[in-house]
Amino acid sequence: MNALLLMAPALLLLLAVFVWPLLDYAWLSLQAQSVFTGLEAVPVGPLNWQRLAADGRFWQDAWQTLRFALVSVGLELLAGLAIALLLHQRWRGRGVVRSLALLPWALPTTVMALGWRWIFNDPYGPINGLLQSLGLASVPFLAAPELAWLATVVADVWKTTPFVALLLLAGLQMIPHDLYEAFALEGGTPWQGLWRITLPLLRPYVFIAALFRLAQALGVFDLIAVLTGGGPASSTESLAVYAYLNAMRFLDFGYSATVMLGMFLLLLLGAAALLVWRRQAEVRA
Amino acid sequence: MNADGNVGRTGGIRPEMRTGAWVALLLLWSLGPMLWQLYTSLRTPAALLAGAGGLAGGWTLGNYTAVLTGDPPFWRYLLNSSVVGALSTLLTLALAIPCAYALSRRRVLLRLLVGGGLLAAAVFPYVLLFLALLQVARQLGLANNLLALCLPYAGLQLPLAVLLLQAAFAELPPELEESAVLEGFSLWQRLRWILLPLMGPAVVSTGLLVFLFSWNEFPIALTWISRSELLTLAPAMARIAGSSVYTVPYGAFAAATVLGSAPLLALLLLFQRQIVAGLTQGAIKG
Repeated sequence: MNALLLMAPALLLLLAVFVWPLLDYAWLSLQAQSVFTGLEAVPVGPLNWQRLAADGRFWQDAWQTLRFALVSVGLELLAGLAIALLLHQRWRGRGVVRSLALLPWALPTTVMALGWRWIFNDPYGPINGLLQSLGLASVPFLAAPELAWLATVVADVWKTTPFVALLLLAGLQMIPHDLYEAFALEGGTPWQGLWRITLPLLRPYVFIAALFRLAQALGVFDLIAVLTGGGPASSTESLAVYAYLNAMRFLDFGYSATVMLGMFLLLLLGAAALLVWRRQAEVRA
Repeated sequence: MNADGNVGRTGGIRPEMRTGAWVALLLLWSLGPMLWQLYTSLRTPAALLAGAGGLAGGWTLGNYTAVLTGDPPFWRYLLNSSVVGALSTLLTLALAIPCAYALSRRRVLLRLLVGGGLLAAAVFPYVLLFLALLQVARQLGLANNLLALCLPYAGLQLPLAVLLLQAAFAELPPELEESAVLEGFSLWQRLRWILLPLMGPAVVSTGLLVFLFSWNEFPIALTWISRSELLTLAPAMARIAGSSVYTVPYGAFAAATVLGSAPLLALLLLFQRQIVAGLTQGAIKG
């Protein structure tokens, strides 16, 4: 039987969903297609790209997206490691706790983003309720730029740490127990064991978890759209939200395509940097 | 408690108690926000405005009645999401199984090449694709068509599904299929009667991950569907959130979050082993 025939339907759909849009954007980014052109595509050469290079909001959002991704994923790796170490030990009820701890990951992002909006509410949310009962002033978490981006980080860490923890737990389960016994016989403490055995052997798993999560966090959309809407004053806006607003609110499709392609190019650059860095780390090791 | 039990832990806390404390903290962190929604959903507006955390009086089911008798009623979104989730899962598996099978029987080099491409597609932030997909949907007249959502969903989940299933096919011993060929089994018969029955766990894990994705997907559903009775859960939540930004208290919102979470909690408790297997395999084999 012809292997290509078996693969053809899947490959066609993959091309339509992943490759066609990028080609479409490449063409669209060289057109003006907005309310000013009556939504007709008019070739304008590199005009959109020149606008992108000079667009302060694009670069501001790029920085905000990067900051969000790095801080969130960093915290998720730390918390995920702690949870994985806890779930790796033997105790009763571990299976049930593992399911319950996975719940935040399984929920739709928009559902839990709405939940967090209520938790951060000023003044009726529980955090402000606690602050008030301690005699402190309530804090406008979602209305102050400095705090709103931290609120998005907290909600993201809450939602995706279980995913990281599960990956790292799978990694922990691959490490043979004899290693720790031998290390203990040599007089090593558990804390030294963590640094000298666990973390080095866990490295590939940390890398995979970081790769998956960074890619998702850099494309963050659902969470921001519902929790803050990109506000206050665009201070939590991500590149994906900006691209969405350009298309669906400003009806500027040519520029929206340019923003998305620009974001794609930045992602490629980041991925290339990551691969080079990993290669060098391997050479050194 | 006898004497030597105390001698052993002078000045320290017993390890079990320390573990217990960490477990309690983990559960509080994971479930706390959801429990707060549950609490909010059962309180009257007056009780919520009186202050966070009160327990006396002010309990009500009114928030649920309001949400379930709204226009459209909330269960409609859950139904829509279930239908889209189930159909997307079937479509993805129908496309991914033959593709994964063919791929697992190819040379290693090709598998690595295609595998690399699939991995890149699997981690790609798909929200970037929404505008082009929306244009396609408009041209083909697929906007406001609930079932049409299965097409982009299947396409977006194919990379992960093919990677997972391909790894599972590759683990089956080749002798199994060789002897079936000698017996005169056709390709379809081999797949249907010999290989797929052994693939059960992998197919279930993959299907669950695809279902969860389709159930939760937001940007594409948001842009393809505008008629409110056709909305799936994720864009419906966003619309509820957006329609009344300044409305406090959140009783009705909280009832919606609880109703939107309950099916997933059930799914997770029923299938946690398969979901965990799929998740870890997906990342590690990929």
